[in-house]
Amino acid sequence: MENGAANPIIVCENVKKWFGDFQALRGVTTSVAEGEVVVVIGPSGSGKSTFIRCINRLEQHQEGRIVVAGIELTSDVRNIERIRSEVGMVFQQFNLFPHLTVMQNITLAQVWVRKRSRSDAEERAMALLERVGIPEQAAKYPGQLSGGQQQRVAIARSLAMDPKIMLFDEPTSALDPEMIKEVLEVMQELAGTGMTIVAVTHEMGFAREVANRVVLFDEGQIVEEGPPAEFFANPRHPRTKMFLSQILSH
Amino acid sequence: MANRPSLAAPTRPPLWRNATFLKWAAQIGVLFGVLALGSVLIGEATANMRAQGLSLDWDLLTDPPGIQLGEGIFIKPSTGLEAFYTGAVNMLRVALSGIVAATVVGAIVGIARLSSNWLASRLATVFVESLRNIPVLVQVVFWFFLASTLFPILEADSSGPIPGVLLVSRKGVSFAWPFPQETFWQWGAFLVVGLLTARWAYRTRMRRAEALGEDTRPGTWALLAFLAWAVLGWFAHPLAGALGWLFMLLAASVGAVPVSVYQVVLALVSLYLGWRWIHRFLESRRSPAGLAKLTDDDYFRMILAGALGAGGAAVLMLLPAATEVGTNVLQYLLEFCDQKFDFLRSGAPLAMGSPSVEVPGRFPQIAGTGLTMTPSFFGIWMGVTLYTASFIAEIVRGGILSVPKGQSEAGYALGLRRGQLLRMVILPQAFRVILPPLGNQYLNLSKNTSLGIAVAFPEMVQVGQTMFNQTGDTIQVILIWMAFYLSISLLISVLINYYNRRAQLVER
Amino acid sequence: MSAESFDLPLQPEPPPKVHRIGWLDWARKNLFNSVFNGTLTMVLTAGLLLLILALLRFVFSPDRRWEVMPPNAANYVVEAYPREDLANMWLSLWIIAALAGVSTASWGMGGQVSVIKVVAAVRAIGATALVVGVLSLWSPAGGATQTVLVWGGAALFGVGVGATRLVQEERGVSVARVLAIVGALLVGLVWYMPLESGTTWPLTITALVVVAFHWVGKLVGQWLSARLMKRVITVLWVLSFPVIYLHIQRNPSLVWGEVTSWLPWAGLLIAAGPAVIWVVSRAGREQAAGVNFLLGGVSIYSWVIQWPMAIRVLFLLLTLFSLATPTFAASPRARRAFYWTWLAGGLCTLYFFLMGIGSTDLATRGHFLGGINLTILLAVGGTALSFPLGVMLALGRTSSMPIFRILSIVYIEVVRGVPLITVLFFGDKVIPRFLPPGLDFAGEAKALLAITAFSAAYLAENVRGGLQAVSKGQTEASRALGMTTAQMTMLITLPQALRVVIPALVGQAIALFKDTSLVAIIGLADFLRVARDIVPNQPDSLGSILENLLLAALVYWIFAFSFSRASLRLERRLGVGTR
Ligand SMILES: Nc1ncnc2c1ncn2[C@@H]1O[C@H](COP(=O)(O)OP(=O)(O)OP(=O)(O)O)[C@@H](O)[C@H]1O
Ligand SMILES: [Mg+2]
Repeated sequence: MENGAANPIIVCENVKKWFGDFQALRGVTTSVAEGEVVVVIGPSGSGKSTFIRCINRLEQHQEGRIVVAGIELTSDVRNIERIRSEVGMVFQQFNLFPHLTVMQNITLAQVWVRKRSRSDAEERAMALLERVGIPEQAAKYPGQLSGGQQQRVAIARSLAMDPKIMLFDEPTSALDPEMIKEVLEVMQELAGTGMTIVAVTHEMGFAREVANRVVLFDEGQIVEEGPPAEFFANPRHPRTKMFLSQILSH
Repeated sequence: MANRPSLAAPTRPPLWRNATFLKWAAQIGVLFGVLALGSVLIGEATANMRAQGLSLDWDLLTDPPGIQLGEGIFIKPSTGLEAFYTGAVNMLRVALSGIVAATVVGAIVGIARLSSNWLASRLATVFVESLRNIPVLVQVVFWFFLASTLFPILEADSSGPIPGVLLVSRKGVSFAWPFPQETFWQWGAFLVVGLLTARWAYRTRMRRAEALGEDTRPGTWALLAFLAWAVLGWFAHPLAGALGWLFMLLAASVGAVPVSVYQVVLALVSLYLGWRWIHRFLESRRSPAGLAKLTDDDYFRMILAGALGAGGAAVLMLLPAATEVGTNVLQYLLEFCDQKFDFLRSGAPLAMGSPSVEVPGRFPQIAGTGLTMTPSFFGIWMGVTLYTASFIAEIVRGGILSVPKGQSEAGYALGLRRGQLLRMVILPQAFRVILPPLGNQYLNLSKNTSLGIAVAFPEMVQVGQTMFNQTGDTIQVILIWMAFYLSISLLISVLINYYNRRAQLVER
Repeated sequence: MSAESFDLPLQPEPPPKVHRIGWLDWARKNLFNSVFNGTLTMVLTAGLLLLILALLRFVFSPDRRWEVMPPNAANYVVEAYPREDLANMWLSLWIIAALAGVSTASWGMGGQVSVIKVVAAVRAIGATALVVGVLSLWSPAGGATQTVLVWGGAALFGVGVGATRLVQEERGVSVARVLAIVGALLVGLVWYMPLESGTTWPLTITALVVVAFHWVGKLVGQWLSARLMKRVITVLWVLSFPVIYLHIQRNPSLVWGEVTSWLPWAGLLIAAGPAVIWVVSRAGREQAAGVNFLLGGVSIYSWVIQWPMAIRVLFLLLTLFSLATPTFAASPRARRAFYWTWLAGGLCTLYFFLMGIGSTDLATRGHFLGGINLTILLAVGGTALSFPLGVMLALGRTSSMPIFRILSIVYIEVVRGVPLITVLFFGDKVIPRFLPPGLDFAGEAKALLAITAFSAAYLAENVRGGLQAVSKGQTEASRALGMTTAQMTMLITLPQALRVVIPALVGQAIALFKDTSLVAIIGLADFLRVARDIVPNQPDSLGSILENLLLAALVYWIFAFSFSRASLRLERRLGVGTR
């Protein structure tokens, strides 16, 4: 699966992005194949979030090209909407809608974006809640759930749109260890179903067991990428070695 | 146990070092001082007034005031009460229509300030920054003089910018309006039933939706139910005449019961409320481990609640007049309602009126066929509405900006459009932030209607000033003002608090 | 974490050059980026054009009488102040100007502003004038005005555009310099306008005073420490208002016969103050309480038997100082500062009773406040006086003593529940009822009292917000340090609370400034009343009411807007409001 040559669903070519004078992405070139699970790691501020937020255009890249599911990301509004309904995203801070119940959170976009009937949407929502293991919480408000439960609702909310790709931006780093496990299990199960996943996470266990490829970011560029076994066992770049030694030392 | 060092018996501190004693002595001293000052001032005032031939009685409410008001229900009130009633109704007209208009304008401008349209956001900014930095009184006076000096002069053949719909002139702005007819109340009864039915329909459809998991369109059902009743009532309204009997019966029975019965019942209610407060308070201090130790503050609260309950009861028992006034007002209201319902009335409940000019004497006047804003009304209404709208716009903008960025990112990531995001994610959350300051603005607007006095609009303050210029009863008038405005403030804050509590987010 | 030791292949590049986008691109992006926005833009443009045309027709209508304004300048500013005594008013203005000048030297003037922004502002002003000038072709505008608008606008716009080409890189220019240029232009305008004779020079001098004292401030600043300098200037600001309004403008005359009976006693009291403070600060808790109790008793007694007012007030002041002594005069150093505070306060009070209350030498006796001068007095005086009252009410409302709490709540809620105009009427009509027949305060004083009472309630709510924001840990920590409640409040809680609510307090002061216009309703000759009644009813400016109201709106707006901008800056500097 080297560089997803098989059937690329995400293609990035020399993507550059500035915040004012600061360059957050210095030219990222990579592609992700359909069904591939890519884990992105790297030190804080290295541009991981910026990169995956560019994929569904929560940030706009200024140079280079990004093509997702055959659609090129330009400022064309129709393309952006189409891509966003094909790409699901899960945030570090969950970002559930606090004024809606869990059920309403999951059905909202199904009804208004996917134009499903409410009953279909609710059926799908119940199925997904069962899949993430919290069917009994459907009538509660996000504020009444634990962090892990909230994150699982957020995953269900994204899955309800039947996305082709799921993006995860540090989905577990706002959680207690016990809850981390709940969320990782859901993600692992999801990977098993053949979903394309790009995840920023520092859960090395997850990266080792589930990922097809691990990518190390630093200073807005990809330093090294490769299958986890190789990546962890004999990293080539000194930067990777140092990063791994720091992160695995405890 | 045995070798515990023996402690000397605790000594009570002397009185002047006892914290509790000092605390209460200071408070009672200050309270006493305040009361003493008040009584000295009141004594002085009554003495001074007696010297000037004035007294602190309430004759001004019943005597003919000998004043004339610019507009309203009683232009030449025959009692002071009628004059104040006119002022109060005029004030409420401005306040209610102003609140509605200011909310709409403010919401539009507030959203426009965040618009991606450069021109719209710039214009909205100019609107806000100019209006909120100019005193509202200047604005009120400006609109008044604009209307009374720059609008076209009224001629016998004036028909305004839009003939039959809108007539603009120096004597006022008149426009077409559906006026309630004598059968309006009967139709109104149907509308109320319609509202209740709509609510019921909404709830049942909602429950059905939750049970079956399908879209049961509760909103549409509710609307249809209401419309059905409205249409039915339009033609069948004489049926509501039966309500007339009901009100007659009620009025008669209210009058039949002797006052002492009301007194006793109300006094018991007062006592019960006091007791209930104390009871609940004690419950709240009770934990499984038993009753918490009560502080002097707690005792003070309980004594105060008890005293208020008992005092209320005592006043009710000792002053039958208070209860009597209450029952009389109730009876009057019921009889008033009775007169509004009659089987034999017929005709449409609303009739469209359009502006026209009449020439009763030498000078043309706006006829009463349309709804007319006098220049005074126009001035005070425009002034307070636009001024408040500029503040509401800022509140709306702040509310929208207060919703975390993650919310819109999550919405976008789900593929929602900007409009959908705003309607379903941002606004419902912003609403909770907006509500409390919005209530404050409603209060401010209501209080600012008192500036009608500067453009001779007969609201409460203008009426009051005209009254005391006639009679010299300044203290009474100021007390009436206080009672009036405090009740309005109380009403608005109760409403806002009610909605605020309902809108709170559910938290863990 | 730094990866400098690893040579990563890609080095940062500068961001892609943003080409100066053409105005067509700009319009497509900002005005026509969707069907809805495009329609909105067209509708708004049409509406805006109609509005501007209507405005121009209004402004340039032959019925408008803008020319009545410059000759009435003195009326707007001071109303009925005797014209032969106008020197007093100029002196007041110069004092303020001098203080402003010194302050700019001490606090700075907001640093730098980008040249590009200044140039853009010039360009925008020019473009606006040009557009208005062209549009005014469809209005009854006079040829001269139009020429000025069109050519002046074109010239400014040209200069702006030219400068934009020249100024390529971001560069700063000091705000002071920009303001100085604007000020110079204003002075030029003063000479060009047909103002009342005898005002051009004093106005020019005012501008010169600001500049001169800016340099004086700079010079003195080299000798004094910045902190001391700021303190001195603050004290001077605080003193300037009483001095201006009670002395310079009133021009009081002292009648010796009326004061000789109490003056020695007052002197004695002031001299005795330090002794009392010394005794109280040395004494134990109970003895101090005894002294305070005694002083309080005498103080109350003095009001009952009606000693001369000056003595009563001084005694009250002494009692307050004595009560505050344990809190503020614990160390010898603090005690020395406290002596000086007492002496300053006592002498100021004495001065007030000697000069501030007696009669005046002005040509008109009594009524001499009016116009913008009165508006400023009411706004500044109301803010200053309502501050202590508001803080007291806030402390009362958050106090643990239920009766104080109830009294504060009742006061605050009643005052906040009624409109200001009813409070003003209360002051105007009810206060005289409490006084012996025939005696009355001046209307201005009653209005000031009413405004103070009103504003204090709102201020109290703001301060309460701040008090509640002070964390519980702070009070617990100060308790643990053994502070008394008074010390904790004055030294820990209040300073933190006030700091948090500074923006809210400034907002409250601006609201108060706007609210002072209501005194026009009870017949005081404030600025609004001058513009609404007095000037438009004079024979040679009859019927110019809308023009005058617009002038009033503009003046109020300039004050309120610049204060709110300044408060925004302050807010950002204090870093409050951001969480
Ligand atoms: N909206 C923004 N404005 C300015 N700079 C930004 C913005 N967002 C990100 N940056 C900067 O871009 C760089 C990359 O940020 P990014 O959030 O992608 O890092 P990250 O790798 O996700 O780090 P972390 O592990 O801490 O989340 C950082 O230096 C950050 O300061
Ligand atoms: Mg990140």
